[in-house]
Amino acid sequence: MRRDYETIIVGGGVIGSGIAYHLSEVQTEGILVIDKEFPLNGTSGSTQGWVWVQSKTPSWYGELSMFSAELYEYLPRKIGDIEYTRTGGIDPFFTAEERDRALRLAESQSQAGIEMHVLDRDETLALEPALSPKIFGSIHSNLDGTVNPMRLVEQYMRAAKKNGVIYEYANPVINIEKKQGEFIVTAKAGTFSCKKLVLSAGVWTCELGKLLGINIPVYPVRGQIIITEPLAPLLKHTLSSMRQTCNGEILIGYTKETAGFDRRTTLDVIEETANFGAKIVPALAEAKMVRTFAGLRVMPQDEFPIIGGVPGIENLFIAALHSGFTLSPLVGTILTELITEGETSIPIDRCNIARFA
Amino acid sequence: MKKGGLEVDKSTIVCRCEEITVADIENAVAQGAQTFDDVKRLTRSGMGLCQGKTCRTVISELIAQIRGESVAAIPVPHMRMPLRAIPIGILADHFSGGSAMQSLLAESKPDEGQES
Ligand SMILES: Cc1cc2nc3c(=O)[nH]c(=O)nc-3n(C[C@H](O)[C@H](O)[C@H](O)COP(=O)(O)OP(=O)(O)OC[C@H]3O[C@@H](n4cnc5c(N)ncnc54)[C@H](O)[C@@H]3O)c2cc1C
Repeated sequence: MRRDYETIIVGGGVIGSGIAYHLSEVQTEGILVIDKEFPLNGTSGSTQGWVWVQSKTPSWYGELSMFSAELYEYLPRKIGDIEYTRTGGIDPFFTAEERDRALRLAESQSQAGIEMHVLDRDETLALEPALSPKIFGSIHSNLDGTVNPMRLVEQYMRAAKKNGVIYEYANPVINIEKKQGEFIVTAKAGTFSCKKLVLSAGVWTCELGKLLGINIPVYPVRGQIIITEPLAPLLKHTLSSMRQTCNGEILIGYTKETAGFDRRTTLDVIEETANFGAKIVPALAEAKMVRTFAGLRVMPQDEFPIIGGVPGIENLFIAALHSGFTLSPLVGTILTELITEGETSIPIDRCNIARFA
Repeated sequence: MKKGGLEVDKSTIVCRCEEITVADIENAVAQGAQTFDDVKRLTRSGMGLCQGKTCRTVISELIAQIRGESVAAIPVPHMRMPLRAIPIGILADHFSGGSAMQSLLAESKPDEGQES
């Protein structure tokens, strides 16, 4: 088996596999993705899967999300069905103060070319009749949608393999050294070398950085989700904190907790989530929930993506970010440009890790 | 594929809730899946109404057989609450205040949105 690669990608979640696939469109040989388990065992297997643009601020970050949402229109034609639907997104609110805030958000986002509108109660209910009549109004944007997260990662993997990418599963990387312009990557089963190295190991990227003496400030933030049994079509849009999949289940939840690497669900947070769900969509109180799950958000210290090269270590690249589903096609595209051409078609200076120095 | 002394063919359904066949499981294992949870995420087997109560053992046995391992070597799947389906309203009624749920609007920083 071949041990020398042009490029090694450590971590095969939505980010690593997205990079592998996009890179394999340009670079047809010598790409290895190595994962300590199976790529859906990390955060990418326990997520909502929204492609969400409207509330992403400041505007440069909103813009990145919008560009990525645009790329989703083409992605299925290249890698196959990923159940991407541009449902439009609705974020309901309950008070006049919140409406003021929403108006300010819509104004500043529109200036950046991110189109969204503040609707009153009746306009909102006309679009999404399942919402509670107690809402005050909502923000609506046509840019938002959802994707099937498992499908997306699987299709990335299939397409990447078809293009010659090699995958190593159940093989944790335990050491990395840089010697004479080469990275020596030691994993549990085998040692590999490469010219270019990408670290995309989600919340574990921090640990890998330590091996190379760099500080990658990402930490886990737990999120818990409720899943209902398949229901007749109820929601037309992706609602803030809720969506219906194409086989009818509704996923509810948008919680943030500091719980280290603990991926358990807890009764208190699930009760709060149930309460929230039934408050914005009353019909849900009658719906049966079949399951809950928790995932670990990949949260950079300032909450913005860490994407790009690393000052002082040539040919080392990092991609560690929250909202990885929203941003994956863009991150894959940008990193491919950076790895193969040394520059990117849109500026990503703000995402550079140097900002933490 | 031989299972428990019976011949099962590729179209035999092993997860009734999601109608997942032997072929689907083989396909997932060929993709690199090694555990029930890996297979579940790729195929949806075990994500249906029974939450794997019916298919867990059969699928774990299949994975072991395809991979040439013993069933004991296949890690047991995660079980998540609730163990049987319950109406959301039951939990919603018991909620007594908390703060983990986030509002997306509250997270946005419209005032900083105009920064270049
Ligand atoms: C509850 C919840 C809801 C979310 N909802 C959304 C949403 O609606 N929209 C959205 O865009 N984002 C959402 N996110 C965020 C999104 O899921 C993540 O940004 C994304 O999954 C991160 O992908 P990743 O590839 O970086 O990480 P992971 O999927 O965690 O992948 C990292 C991989 O690296 C591997 N790895 C780790 N260490 C090593 C090592 N030493 N050697 C080899 N391999 C290693 C792991 O096994 C893993 O497979 C949500 C997250 C949560 C928790």
